[in-house]
Amino acid sequence: METNQMIDLSRLENIVLPPPLWEQIKAHCKRKLAGDYLPGETKVKRAYGLLGGKVHGDSAVIEKIFFFKKNARMTEPLKSYMDGVMERYAVASKTPLSQRGWITDPDELRLCYDLCDREGLAVIGTYHMHIVPWDHDPLRDTPTKLDMVLAKNSNLYCFIVSLVDPSQPIIRAFYEGIKENEVPILFE
Amino acid sequence: MARVIIPSPLRRYTNYRREIKIEASDLSTLMESLLASYQGLSIIREQPALLSIFINGRLVKADEQSWNEIGLKEDDEISLIIPIAGG
Repeated sequence: METNQMIDLSRLENIVLPPPLWEQIKAHCKRKLAGDYLPGETKVKRAYGLLGGKVHGDSAVIEKIFFFKKNARMTEPLKSYMDGVMERYAVASKTPLSQRGWITDPDELRLCYDLCDREGLAVIGTYHMHIVPWDHDPLRDTPTKLDMVLAKNSNLYCFIVSLVDPSQPIIRAFYEGIKENEVPILFE
Repeated sequence: MARVIIPSPLRRYTNYRREIKIEASDLSTLMESLLASYQGLSIIREQPALLSIFINGRLVKADEQSWNEIGLKEDDEISLIIPIAGG
């Protein structure tokens, strides 16, 4: 178990995402979008997960994808917190605020962190999908203001998966959800 | 001593230490000691609703005012979790 690995994710120059892992992310997003849920999975058309990997110099190599099954969006006290953030930062949309946003179940996240530690992986970031095009952002492949607020001080990359066109998924990575902090993803 | 497990994203506040051992007989004392030693970790108090504390894998269902009533034993493992969220 790596316990004291010094990793400053803010200084990465690129992130390597092996194509088979990108395929896993796409499959997860498409499955959730289709409303095909696993036992114990929260029935919402949202996919989000965690990317674990290793840092080599100024590059991170993703080695494992963790798929979150639960969404604690309707569980107090997280629900009240998320409702407040939505009211303040979410832009107008046809989806009611109460149904917008996702937040990990703390116990599921704890087990995920433990697994990363056992496997010697650093937590590089999380991913979630955007599916609805906006007039001012038709591809939806960048973080929203809401994403940025929720990723503040996370010390993680916010990977946005655009499934606006499911036949041509896009993934981009932004440190702490800040557009100016994008790091290129290398598919190799 | 109790062992506090720091999640990967918060380790930049603990000199990248994963595990911190603290002598404390209750949760309140442990948290005070932890935050005094690693002041950057005070970020976990900015949104109290987001902090989940687990003792030996079991979620502590008590607010901060009651932490002094939660006794700790030698070798208890305390995990601090801030959930990840998105829009």
